[in-house]
Amino acid sequence: MEALYAMTTGILAASGLFLALRGRTFPVVVGLTLLSYAVNLFLFSMGGLQAGAAAVIDDSGNYTDPLPQALVLTAIVIGFAMTAFSVILAMRARADLGSDHVNGNRVDESREERS
Amino acid sequence: MLDNALWISVALFTVSIMLNLYRVAVGPALPDRILALDTMYVNSIALIVLFGIWLNTKTYFEAALLIAMLGFISTVAVCKYLLRGDIIE
Amino acid sequence: MSLLLIVLLPLLGSLVPLMGSNERRNACATMTAVAPTIALGIALAYMGQVLDGDIPRAAVSWIPALGLELAMRLDGLSLLFVLLILGIGLLIILYTRFYLADGDDMPRFYAFLMLFMTSMLGIVMADNLLLLWVFWELTSLSSFLLIGYWYRQSEARKGARMALTVTGAGGLALLAGLLLIGQIVGSYDMQVVLDSRELIQQDPRYLPALLLVLLGAFTKSAQVPFQFWLPHAMAAPTPVSAFLHSATMVKAGVFLLARMHPALAGSEAWLYLVGLTGLVTLLYGAYFALLKHDLKGILAFSTVSHLGIITLLFGLDSRLAVVAGLFHIVNHACFKAALFMTAGIVDHECGTRDIRKLKGLWRFMPLTTTMAVLAGAAMAGVPLFNGFLSKEMMLAESLQTPLLGGLSWLIPALATVGSLLSVAYSLRLVRNVFFDGPARDLPRTPHEPPRLMLAPVMLLTVICVVVGLLPALTMTALLEAAASAALAGDSPELHLAIWHGVNPALLMSLTALLGGLLLYLQRRHVFAFQRQFRPRDARLLFEMGIQLGVRIAQRAIDSLENGSLQRYMLWLVIAVLCVAGSALTQTSGLQGPLENQPLDGLLIAGAIIAMFAGLATAIMHRRRLISLLMLSIVGLMTSLAFARFSAPDLALTQLAVEVVNMILLMLALFFLPQKTPQESGAPRILRDVLLAAGFGGIVASLNYAVLTRPLESISDFYLENSVPGGGGHNVVNVILVDFRGFDTLGEITVLCIAAIGIYKLLNRLRLFMPSSDADGRPWALDHHPAILGTVAQTILPLALLVSFFIFLRGHNAPGGGFIAGLITAAALLLLYIARGVDWTQQRAPIQFQPIAVAGVGVATLTGVGSFVFGQPFLTSAYGHFHIPLIGDIELATAILFDLGVYLTVVGSTLMMLANLGKMTTRHRPSKNKEQA
Repeated sequence: MEALYAMTTGILAASGLFLALRGRTFPVVVGLTLLSYAVNLFLFSMGGLQAGAAAVIDDSGNYTDPLPQALVLTAIVIGFAMTAFSVILAMRARADLGSDHVNGNRVDESREERS
Repeated sequence: MLDNALWISVALFTVSIMLNLYRVAVGPALPDRILALDTMYVNSIALIVLFGIWLNTKTYFEAALLIAMLGFISTVAVCKYLLRGDIIE
Repeated sequence: MSLLLIVLLPLLGSLVPLMGSNERRNACATMTAVAPTIALGIALAYMGQVLDGDIPRAAVSWIPALGLELAMRLDGLSLLFVLLILGIGLLIILYTRFYLADGDDMPRFYAFLMLFMTSMLGIVMADNLLLLWVFWELTSLSSFLLIGYWYRQSEARKGARMALTVTGAGGLALLAGLLLIGQIVGSYDMQVVLDSRELIQQDPRYLPALLLVLLGAFTKSAQVPFQFWLPHAMAAPTPVSAFLHSATMVKAGVFLLARMHPALAGSEAWLYLVGLTGLVTLLYGAYFALLKHDLKGILAFSTVSHLGIITLLFGLDSRLAVVAGLFHIVNHACFKAALFMTAGIVDHECGTRDIRKLKGLWRFMPLTTTMAVLAGAAMAGVPLFNGFLSKEMMLAESLQTPLLGGLSWLIPALATVGSLLSVAYSLRLVRNVFFDGPARDLPRTPHEPPRLMLAPVMLLTVICVVVGLLPALTMTALLEAAASAALAGDSPELHLAIWHGVNPALLMSLTALLGGLLLYLQRRHVFAFQRQFRPRDARLLFEMGIQLGVRIAQRAIDSLENGSLQRYMLWLVIAVLCVAGSALTQTSGLQGPLENQPLDGLLIAGAIIAMFAGLATAIMHRRRLISLLMLSIVGLMTSLAFARFSAPDLALTQLAVEVVNMILLMLALFFLPQKTPQESGAPRILRDVLLAAGFGGIVASLNYAVLTRPLESISDFYLENSVPGGGGHNVVNVILVDFRGFDTLGEITVLCIAAIGIYKLLNRLRLFMPSSDADGRPWALDHHPAILGTVAQTILPLALLVSFFIFLRGHNAPGGGFIAGLITAAALLLLYIARGVDWTQQRAPIQFQPIAVAGVGVATLTGVGSFVFGQPFLTSAYGHFHIPLIGDIELATAILFDLGVYLTVVGSTLMMLANLGKMTTRHRPSKNKEQA
């Protein structure tokens, strides 16, 4: 199971990175989101993979590690804020530079996309 | 008895989720994909509930509740995009 | 404690002039003088104690972990310098009052001057090596400000920059040296260091430490080959030069030599380095002083030369030489300050400092002339003046040195040559400017300066004469106290007197005087000789060096930073691959001791779906909407994974964020192009695929390596203390709002700031809005479908109820402020989607910015609230309450904190998304008109 889990995070990270290396802002943003999924899964797994052992104190006495969960929880929210910020930045860049290329090249876009 | 029923339903829902995935990937039209995604949400609700029954705990039922509610919002957003482009206008 | 005041008063005093105004100059100058006067009074009050051999010390702990203390001492050496700095500083304040022109900003000048004075006092009184260095750097900085005071002149800026570069670099070397010494000794306490001579000099690190410390001292004291900054610092206003050259800045270097003398001196390396550097500097400065035509230039090179004398004295292996060095520091300070002020007066009155244009000024300013003659005589070392005494001591000591073995006679011979040159340039300075026939073609007709402007010069000249006439009476006590500090032991017996009988030193003095006179008369030969050389401007060389550095840096930057974010990303990834990859190869195999847990079909299916969707997101990225749908599947699978592996809170958060994220990306999809053009060629794709595969491989290996190794966690503490300490059963939530509440506070603050940043970025944003979808179909005309609106309105209260429920039970079961906030935000966004911004704003005119800020406020106040009960920040309390109909519930103050989190999340999320929606609403009508 651990091997499968690790493979999944690896593939998600690889896909995310591939997208992050693209030239247009939208795939980069999507790539960053994908990468943050992978990273969250990765960090979360640092507490070990256990089923049915939620860190809610009850009579069972069997709990998983709550600390990575707490960290990942805030990471998810902050990750969203970061994504939102980069999205708006991308929009701003497109509005100001007329291009959605990450390098900010002032290339002409196809006309029908301008309104 | 319950165990068997549980396993059979989990297997069936797993298969249906895989089929949903196939539809999202293949299409052909965008509404097909969106519908498949929505169905995927519904199937995962079932999976979570079954998982909770299997573990005999209520802890995970809120997750099912949230998928039901928020999955809908997600679908609405995509549909609105298809219709109008601008989803908040 | 009052010891600290000597340094702190001028520091506070640097604020005083800033309150004054440029118009009321007398008041400004008087107010400024108050603090140093009091400080001088305190120092004088300690004088008796210090002269008796006591060393008053005072310390306040500053950063004990670094061995840094705010520790001050006032031994004889410090006292000598404190008196010089404060005494001459006060005279400079008075002189400046008349020197500065009406347009010059007087408060600023005085503020810098006081800061400079503070840092000098700090150096001489520091009782801790690190503290000494702090003040040392402060002198570099404040002298930069002073030299660059006339910042509109390019000369001033360049001079200031050069001084800062040279002395600042020296300061860094000094820091390294002091750290080395501190490591050798094991303490930064001055007394401990001074007492550890044997320990330091036997350590193999002694030589590098010595070199570094000397580098600091030599740069500061303008010793060859670092002398070049000093003449260029002449671009400063004359009072600054007078202060810089007499009592401060350059004297800091020789002070350091004296201060560290007990610990570092005596070794062969010290003798050669210090002695020979001093000798070379002495000759170099004296020779060029003779050649300069600028009054201040002559004085600057003469300073270089005299600093050479002092350095030479510290480098001679004799106790009496050190005393002579200290004596010369005082003497040089007095006559050099007087001469600089005189030069300032001449410049002020005549409008030029060029010695070739000045002539016969004695007719116009007899009093100033007298002062200049007297101070010049002191500089030349004419008998009956103070300069004579210390110079004769220098000559006498140089005769004793065995430094060069069989060639030791070179040192006294060269010292005599230096004195001879010094006589010649002093003569030239005084005679050419003030005598030498009647004045002609002066830019201005000079006359005597205001009485009070001349007063400081007179006072200093009187000191020169009195010390010269009555050396034993005036100086013996102070010098002995200073020497016993610099020599760590009793001072050698001093016999300061004008007449020691006919001895070699006297003969050398006389030779220098006569030879100087002769050289002055024949000076045109020297000028002719010098003309054969190509003049080399140190500043040009320095600027060239700087330019070269800048060019190299620029080239390096250009080659790395070409504006392509893709390129940076590439380098970043490659760096990560190298670092993480090489670290992974060091581990003992991939598989740890733990066995894999068994797989089941559900897991396999989930993993396959996630992997497939992830890959599909990447592969189909050019069809953006489909890529987005795939991303959404990955999100769903992630949250299912969280649920499967016992993290219900994470599952809930991920689901809620997933929706909000989806809405965000939908908006992005609309405003950004809907398709990605084919840009990357096959090689590039291949490169990226390889990089991504490498990265994924590393992540997977790392993850697997960790997962198969036993877990050691600090979480037991949280699990044990969650219920008794935090009053909550959901440990994740208790960690968030209680154990690590401070972290959470930081994170919601970041969230809020990000939202505000977005809000600002949206300001005046002109968006591109497509008129049809990716396939060219026009948009539907129905803005707000009725069914959707109705359903959304029905869902809203339900969703709010759910979020309220999740919020309340968050402390004990999965849920909490983050999740509840996201659900509320998603529900409100649904309303925005279904009904539009206008409709929603009409019915619920809520501004989201205040909500987000209020959330951070509530959370902070909750934390601050614990201060009221005398508890540390964010201490939580909880109790059981009975509410009718609902029953017993457990409430913790942490729920208030969670409320803050909730409000921040709702406010920030909506601030981001709803505002973005509003943007389009604002622009759309006009666009529709255009289309119509």
